[in-house]
Amino acid sequence: MKNNLRVERAIKNITQEELARQIGVTRQAINSIELNKYVPSTILALKLSQYFNKTVNDIFTLEETD
Amino acid sequence: MVPSTILGIACIFYDFSFNFLDIKVFAIFSDDFFGSDTVFGLGKNNITDEIVGVLFIIGALLVAFSKEKNEDEFIEKTRWESLVWATYINYFILIFCFLFFYNTSFLWVMIFNMFTILIFFILRFYFIIIMLKKSLGHEK
Repeated sequence: MKNNLRVERAIKNITQEELARQIGVTRQAINSIELNKYVPSTILALKLSQYFNKTVNDIFTLEETD
Repeated sequence: MVPSTILGIACIFYDFSFNFLDIKVFAIFSDDFFGSDTVFGLGKNNITDEIVGVLFIIGALLVAFSKEKNEDEFIEKTRWESLVWATYINYFILIFCFLFFYNTSFLWVMIFNMFTILIFFILRFYFIIIMLKKSLGHEK
């Protein structure tokens, strides 16, 4: 699964730290999602989509291997 | 956990025990090399090692499964992964010991094996957490 969390974060001009605080997770979690090391739960994905005011599909996209 | 670890090591390697802890204990089953077996009866035993063992397990469980200050789903996932990892490693080592340790040495293997799964878990979990914190650095 790919994501453009980093891009969305750049558009909003917000650090990992700040985003993590707003969503209520650790900075490690945000960092690992951006590095495609961690697939967030549906709940966390929905929280992120709510925060950026986009649909989950705009942020996360399936890859061929999924 | 730390004091019970030290006491545990003392118990194992130096035959350490508190004399005042020689008491009668209730045993569900206990067999004696030179006497008769006891089923649901009382027997005399020094309970230093029992107390130390219980304290160690409780301490290790607390260290292992207390929530982090900021526990989230990612930390939780790391926790599960570490537990699975610790189980694998523990049993691989046990298989190795099965094959290469015999008699009394194997008894020692069994004694240590009671605690190693928790120890491996704690080491791996905190190692991962610390590595993650380090790798974050000052990334924007």
